[in-house]
Amino acid sequence: MSLVMDLYAPGRSWLHRLDPRVKLWGALWGVLLALLIPRPLFQAGFLLTLHLLLWGAGVPSARLAWLWRQLRVLLLFILLLQPFFAPGGTELLTLGPLRLTVGGLLSGLLFALRALTMTFVTGALLFTTEQHALVRAFVRLGAPYTWGLTISLTLRFIPALSHLFSSVRAAQAARGWMPSGSFIRRLRDYLPVLVAVVIGTLRMSDQLTLALAARGLDSATPRTTWRELAMRRSDWIVLVLCTLGGGLMLWLVR
Amino acid sequence: MPEPVIAAQGIGFTYPPLTPEIAATPLFEALELRVGAGEAYAVMGASGSGKSTLCYLLAGLAPRYTGGQSNGSLRIAGHDPFAAPLPAGAVGLLFQDAATQLFNATVEDEVAWGLETLGVPSGDIGPRVNMALRQFGLLPLTGRAPWTLSGGEQKRLALAAVWAMRPRVWALDEPLGGLDPVGRREVLTALAALRDDGATLLLTTLRPQTAQLADSASLLVSGTLTPPQPPAHLLAAEPRLEEAGILLPRTRWPKVPPSPHPAGNEPAIVTRNLSFTYGDGRAVLQGIDLAIPRGRCVALVGVNGAGKSTLARHFNGLLRPISGTVTILGHDAARTAPGELARQVGFLFQRPEQQIFGVTVRDEVAYGPRCLRLPDADARVERALARFDLSASATLPPAILSYGARRAVTLAALAALETPILVLDEPTVGLDGRGWAQLLDWLAERRAAGTTIILITHESELAAWCDEIIALRAGRILANRPAATVLGQLAGELLA
Repeated sequence: MSLVMDLYAPGRSWLHRLDPRVKLWGALWGVLLALLIPRPLFQAGFLLTLHLLLWGAGVPSARLAWLWRQLRVLLLFILLLQPFFAPGGTELLTLGPLRLTVGGLLSGLLFALRALTMTFVTGALLFTTEQHALVRAFVRLGAPYTWGLTISLTLRFIPALSHLFSSVRAAQAARGWMPSGSFIRRLRDYLPVLVAVVIGTLRMSDQLTLALAARGLDSATPRTTWRELAMRRSDWIVLVLCTLGGGLMLWLVR
Repeated sequence: MPEPVIAAQGIGFTYPPLTPEIAATPLFEALELRVGAGEAYAVMGASGSGKSTLCYLLAGLAPRYTGGQSNGSLRIAGHDPFAAPLPAGAVGLLFQDAATQLFNATVEDEVAWGLETLGVPSGDIGPRVNMALRQFGLLPLTGRAPWTLSGGEQKRLALAAVWAMRPRVWALDEPLGGLDPVGRREVLTALAALRDDGATLLLTTLRPQTAQLADSASLLVSGTLTPPQPPAHLLAAEPRLEEAGILLPRTRWPKVPPSPHPAGNEPAIVTRNLSFTYGDGRAVLQGIDLAIPRGRCVALVGVNGAGKSTLARHFNGLLRPISGTVTILGHDAARTAPGELARQVGFLFQRPEQQIFGVTVRDEVAYGPRCLRLPDADARVERALARFDLSASATLPPAILSYGARRAVTLAALAALETPILVLDEPTVGLDGRGWAQLLDWLAERRAAGTTIILITHESELAAWCDEIIALRAGRILANRPAATVLGQLAGELLA
């Protein structure tokens, strides 16, 4: 297994073939809906729709499961803590100064669902858009080439770091690490892994600098583009549907 | 006589100091190099001798992107890389680890990237991408992601991506390093194509096989290059290569006594009908039946993807069998946590940079003994540090050490555990002569002490040094016999 992996799941579905600018626009609407509609039921429905969309586009379910796993700690924190920060409605339990209420639980659920919808909206964009197309989209929308490249390379190296993370964990286990002791003790066991990941990041970025320079990133010649982006009729249709659908949702459900 | 394509005179180079306490020492002093058009020139040097840095200098990356100080005069394809950046595509560079120079999402995008940089008109890019893919036999892989390719395919893709930019000069850093026999053959064919093309090549290498490709060869020792000579002459002078730390001649390998056969004892490792399938449905192991007696040294061989590493990861509990059983010194591996199995099995992973996590070398070596609360942990650590010549660098961060020294750190971390079983996954990749000597001396010592050793390797000489060879093909056992009887059949296909 090589050092570098990517979020992109290759495919030829309509979602894969959609113009990346339209996908960026759609993702923007998705994030807006996640942020602006404070209804758990809507967010749950939205999340389900996103899963169906990704499944229909042939994104492997292992990829979706991976995203869930990445979020599990965050979700746990939100579900455990948020209820106590936003108490309201019927009281269920009192623990000293802490009050557990129905309103609080619903609020925790809403925030957890929002985190999920936003992640899967971003996932829908990144799983079905190759990095080259994403750079082209940013550049066509007016960003300098190096910005687009930076964004896409960053996205691309996140899974590489997660791979490094699991390699180091395996190396620790192979030398006798066992999950034991208090929560703090376990947290402390992660410190060496962080050290390794930080060093790994620095090493990767050094190599990447050389790799880009070796192939002429700093060349004064203006870059050309192999496959120019061109909006097709289907792209325009999706663009209009996204805008109308998103606007309608905001107007109706909010 | 025409002007050489590469002309270096009195080149010096010094990296910036790694830590404020350590003074920077020059890597090169008064380096001389002349390579004529269409020539191939091999530079042999030990780990840390500056082979990669030499390539970076020629490609205009050092010191511009690496930092450091250079002096002397360098002319390459009519340009002075110290004075101004080289034009894109003037010098083609193949990195030692080709995977790190691939940064696009698909094979064809990887090749197109350089052409876009050169400003090639959109309409011409497609045909040129196709031509490059065909030249290096990559057409069937067009839509694949570069990081899903094998080592040999990645090297060929890196070559194709640079070749498309039509450089006339190439710096190839260990082009055959880290490849299995199939990958080596693939890359050798690709290099032959470059030569036929009339390109000027500079190859750095530890391997005689690569040096033989060149018209002339030099040693890189103590920051200078020896005068060029025909590769055959250079390679014939084995004592000189050994002294330079490049090779460990076969005659200098440690002798090992025949392995003891403790009768009646339970085997060290037993697998029964072991099968394993990855999450994506790929069956990697199919019905493996093995019994490795205690004290035996076994080479585990097979082409990439045959299932060697997957099998080995069952021996220390990192992977659990989908069906079948693995028994380690009488314990069912599936019921024992990997952390607990670490008392029995020492495991060396492939890439040092992905298994080192200590802040200092001593921390790294002490991690295992401390975790397992072994008695006399401190004494074990000091013994292991001394065994691998690391006592002087014990307080340094491992990240600033050379590749060879980092490999030694990972070996010392294993040695400190003093386990009855050792599993080493391709321990010789990237090792120079000194590294080989250090590894083999330690292994010989362990063999004499009755440690059971499993070595995953592509090196036929190392396999021959073991008692037995287990050959895997497509997840099944192809052969499991004494090394001497099986070596001849496997050489060429599974071993280099």
